[in-house]
Amino acid sequence: MEPMHSRRRGLYPAIFLAALLGYAAWPWLPFSRAQATPPTIVFYGFSILADVCQEAVFPAFQKRWEAEGGGRVEFASSFGGSGTVTNQVIMGVPAQVALLSLESDADRLADAGVIPHDSWKKLPNAGVVNLTPFVILVRPGNPLGIRDFEDLTRPGVRIVHPDPMTSGGANWAIVAEYGSGARGTPGGEAAGEAVLAGVWKNVVAQAASARAARTQFENGFGDALITYEQEAIYDRGRGRLAADISYPQRTILSEHTLVVIDRNIRPRERALVDRFVRFLWSEEAQGLFVKYGFRSGRPELDAENTSFGTIAQPFRIADFGGWRRARRDIVDGIWKDRVMKGIAAP
Amino acid sequence: MSAVPAAASPKTRATVPVGIVLLVLLPLILMPLAAVFVFAFRGGAADFLRVLASREAQFALRFSLLIAFATASVNAVLGTYTAYVLSRYRFRGERPLGILVNLPVAIPTVVVGTSLLLLWGPIGLLGRFLAPLGIQPMFAPAGVLLAHLFVTFPYMLGAVKPVLDEIEGTYEEAAYTIGANRWQAFRWVILPALKGGLFTGALLTFAHSLGEFGATVLVSGNLRLRTQTAPLYIFAQFEAGNVAAANAIAAVLATLSFLIFFFLLRYTGRKGR
Repeated sequence: MEPMHSRRRGLYPAIFLAALLGYAAWPWLPFSRAQATPPTIVFYGFSILADVCQEAVFPAFQKRWEAEGGGRVEFASSFGGSGTVTNQVIMGVPAQVALLSLESDADRLADAGVIPHDSWKKLPNAGVVNLTPFVILVRPGNPLGIRDFEDLTRPGVRIVHPDPMTSGGANWAIVAEYGSGARGTPGGEAAGEAVLAGVWKNVVAQAASARAARTQFENGFGDALITYEQEAIYDRGRGRLAADISYPQRTILSEHTLVVIDRNIRPRERALVDRFVRFLWSEEAQGLFVKYGFRSGRPELDAENTSFGTIAQPFRIADFGGWRRARRDIVDGIWKDRVMKGIAAP
Repeated sequence: MSAVPAAASPKTRATVPVGIVLLVLLPLILMPLAAVFVFAFRGGAADFLRVLASREAQFALRFSLLIAFATASVNAVLGTYTAYVLSRYRFRGERPLGILVNLPVAIPTVVVGTSLLLLWGPIGLLGRFLAPLGIQPMFAPAGVLLAHLFVTFPYMLGAVKPVLDEIEGTYEEAAYTIGANRWQAFRWVILPALKGGLFTGALLTFAHSLGEFGATVLVSGNLRLRTQTAPLYIFAQFEAGNVAAANAIAAVLATLSFLIFFFLLRYTGRKGR
């Protein structure tokens, strides 16, 4: 009696677990495998690229590659803060192509010996795939009347900001905030630092990536979010933007750098990866980026998206002598060493 | 049929204390769980199924389940063997070893992730010798499995060792006197008695592996369709603002956990021993 009872007692969990195992292993079972796995491109990108890549650029390239007789191709992809992605590549993830938010992260990869120095500069447009200006998102109707970075320095404004440790967008935002002040008045280094200090005093939440910061803002945190214009107009296009966009008088146009990680590309994958890299600058791919709210830098393509705002005095990282200098002088020299220390001290 | 449990004192009025417990648990545990399901089904059942049927969600679920099965299987053997050695042999360093094998519960999972990377990663202590050979355990399923084995190791031990400690040595000795060797004594005397402990330990290991996040996020590389587990999928989707997609998988994971713990309570808890 007893053994029979105990045997029956274990029957249901056994059936349940067997069913789970069957479900989990199904695609890998010998008879269910329809065809050999096609070649795969391993792509790592910074956070805001996820939708445009997965919905538009990858499928378009798959069609193109098949049309050119290359057969099927798959993408394995991962998206996160640009700094996170950079650290992952340094630690050895099998990324073959990585689209980083800023050239500074490409420099870090080169410094770590992952890719040759300045190797991305041999790519079209010096490795820059697309651009987007930095804007301020505010609550609907702009109740606090925030029009520019200077307005964010007012006491009591609560700002959601991505984290410069892991987010490329956060680094762009720092240069945007600084440049907005510094380029407004002649010899305005002090003005730049004042804007930075005022903004960072008001930061109430830091997220790991620009996309994560936007999710925090969407969930109701804060009065303002400093982010890529692309995020805002892409969301508005889908009717998901519960915010207004404030275009600053002066702000930075971020430039997003592509790196190719040769050590993760096997010889037989070379042609495929190279074709994909070239495809990213093709009119087709650039058109898709524009459709999703990125700027291509080509006026005839950018005209396709009517939702781009105008910025009176845009500036670029080159205006500060490139990322190496901007990182040393602005991000490390002013933001980290002076502004953040000033805030930490009582 | 053992009758009334000893603890059941004469009927006292339980309404107030039970009410307090429920009042505390409601916002602490019950409502957050309910929120997962409410948000998962906010777009309707069709939307829920559509999200669930996506390739990435399916892969993440299957990958997590396979890792959980593998973790439970490997640790069932390793944990039981370790418990057997710790329980049956007397040796110098026994106590430190006993502490060491339980250490994983005390170590933050993020630290487990970083330490695995610093050992097996391409720039790690061992990894730098393996990398030239083309062996790369990190950022691959093997790395996820290693992390999960580490993190869940003590569960099997905790479930099996107390049972082993309580089994009378005399039965084993009796087996030896009729000519059984150690393996035979283990197979026919100890193992049958261990069944309950093995089942509990394996299910706990399985459940914990299914939900592991802290170590996995570091060692997996978070590649969709390659190494993204279900919890990583939830985190990525939630961070990207796709709350519906995140919650659909979260609801499935929560349901699985409920079922596993239902089995634990139903099939082992009542057995008493």
